[in-house]
Amino acid sequence: MRGSSILITGGTGFVGSWLTEMIAFLNDRHGYGIKVTLLSRRVSTFGERAPHLAGRADVKLVENDVKNIASLAPDTQWIIHAAASPDRRTHFSNPVQTMETIVSGTHSLLSAASRLTPLERILCLSSGLVYGPQNWKDGALSEKAFSGMDCGSPANLYAESKRAAEMLTAAYRSQFGVPVLNARLFAFIGPYQLLDRPWAVNNFLSDALRGGPIRVQGSGETVRSYMYGSDLADWLFRLLVSGRVGGAYNVGSPAGISLRDLAVKIADCCPGRPGIELNTLPTAKLPSTQWLPDVTLAQTECRLQVRTSLDEAIRRTVTWHASRLREPATV
Amino acid sequence: MPRILISDPTLRDGNHAVQHKLSLSQIAAYAAAADAALVPIVEVGHGNGLAASSLQIGEAPATDREMLTVARENLKRSKLCIHVMPGFATIPRDLKPAIDIGVDVVRVASHCSEADITQRHIAYVRERGKQVFGVLMMTHMLTKERLTEEALKMESYGAEAIILMDSAGAFLPGDVAERVTALVAALGIPVGFHAHNNLGMAIANSITALQSGATIVDGTARGFGAGAGNAQLEVLVAVMHKLGYETGIDLYKILDAADLAEREIMPSVPTISSVSIVSGLAGVFSGFVKHVNRVSSQFNVDPRDVFFELGRRRIVAGQEDLIIEVANALASGAALPAGEVH
Repeated sequence: MRGSSILITGGTGFVGSWLTEMIAFLNDRHGYGIKVTLLSRRVSTFGERAPHLAGRADVKLVENDVKNIASLAPDTQWIIHAAASPDRRTHFSNPVQTMETIVSGTHSLLSAASRLTPLERILCLSSGLVYGPQNWKDGALSEKAFSGMDCGSPANLYAESKRAAEMLTAAYRSQFGVPVLNARLFAFIGPYQLLDRPWAVNNFLSDALRGGPIRVQGSGETVRSYMYGSDLADWLFRLLVSGRVGGAYNVGSPAGISLRDLAVKIADCCPGRPGIELNTLPTAKLPSTQWLPDVTLAQTECRLQVRTSLDEAIRRTVTWHASRLREPATV
Repeated sequence: MPRILISDPTLRDGNHAVQHKLSLSQIAAYAAAADAALVPIVEVGHGNGLAASSLQIGEAPATDREMLTVARENLKRSKLCIHVMPGFATIPRDLKPAIDIGVDVVRVASHCSEADITQRHIAYVRERGKQVFGVLMMTHMLTKERLTEEALKMESYGAEAIILMDSAGAFLPGDVAERVTALVAALGIPVGFHAHNNLGMAIANSITALQSGATIVDGTARGFGAGAGNAQLEVLVAVMHKLGYETGIDLYKILDAADLAEREIMPSVPTISSVSIVSGLAGVFSGFVKHVNRVSSQFNVDPRDVFFELGRRRIVAGQEDLIIEVANALASGAALPAGEVH
């Protein structure tokens, strides 16, 4: 990838920020000389959130909506397509916009990319939700673990949109020979992830950083896994370069943890060790679920591995947010 | 049998029955009695919730701060709860100080098709580390499919439970069963039910909700609430205990609290008036009864006709001005009385 040009759509979000951190590291420490273009609907806020990245000479910010793309810079060789919000509040409040961004956005990008002469690879970011509802006892999800989904339910809109986007990548690869592959993302933790996001780990961090208690709905038996942002960036770059065109790879940590244990780990990392409140409503037991990736394919085909432990990921994340909370103007 | 969470809005919904005039001493007396009965959640405030006191809807004699402060002083074990409609209550002006006073539970409510407006309020309550429920009002106006979509929005915003309100007292048990069953299947959070008694179904509907999977129900002392009133709390508790549900409420003390409420806070015990029956049939918000009776008298029209016309126009709370328009239309002959239509 030395001396190449990369486009990252959705480049100013959590994923894009970590990818840009990785590029900055490769350029500064190892002289890669990569030029990156970050496409985003709102580039102005990136300068406030990450001024050390936004101000770099090797980072170009372009404000545009991915679904409006007609052409791309002719020297673009690599593309990571990360544009789409995983925030389910947006999915329910703005389902049409959500679907447009994912499906029309992917269509526009692939159409423009199909006309690029120097194009090497496109990595499209999909979701581990494409597999549909799963039985708790089925264990970690392999890349073939598909179940049926109700395609008329708004609850499945994000997953169905991602499935449609993956099918578009297959269509462009089949008809126009576009070299594209997919990464199916699970759950992540780290700096740049906003505390108001509606996921358990963010709620726990938010509760803990404000002094607690950490409030856990239900008994905390639900199981998730969390990959740190730098590992995510590492995996995505390696998949972009060495993943199989036409392939789809799970990306996430295979190490499951119950939400109860996650709350304990977060509390242990926070000043004053805030308390934990389980079963915040004394009613019938809430259903517990498990959502874990089987990453054997990524490990065997691309020799990927998780490098940052969850303990270390939580420690770094708490430190980052704590410093930001002390300086609210920079958040 | 599962543990059921009971929420008691006597000091909020009951305010509709007295033009929002509950006094601080009445709030103190009932809050203390409910606390002694181990009622888990006690809801306090203007009938339309936080910051809703106004000339149009009804002015409360005390401020929200005063009401919540006195309630807080008298609730030692029960959680203090408020009803919040984003159209009335703003976050910095109203919600923040309410939580600062010591509110434990916030029920953020919207009309059944407008859950979108609750996102910021729900997020703020979560940020403050308090319990937040989403409340969908006038739920007879939507199908179970649309209700589920609106409930999913509230769940995505961070609501920890969804309460379905039969604000018009329009439901029969089958209506409750199909809606609650759909929500319980679709949501990962508890579902609750808030009944009104216009058609005499409040207790039956509440039990049906529980049998359909709801784990939260509302009830008020003697049914003190808007229009024909709510599910009568002390009856609800007795029936639930007979059915084997665990409520955590002391039966004798909730009976005592209801006696006190009848004696101290309500000028008359709610009954199902003829007009309330009509409002239930018409599917109009129960809290309109006193407004409709007053305006109908002014325009010399039959309040039952006014209710049916309001129902035909699908009027909801907050559109009180239209009561006058409808009464005027009936008086001038611009609208046909319901008796000449049906």
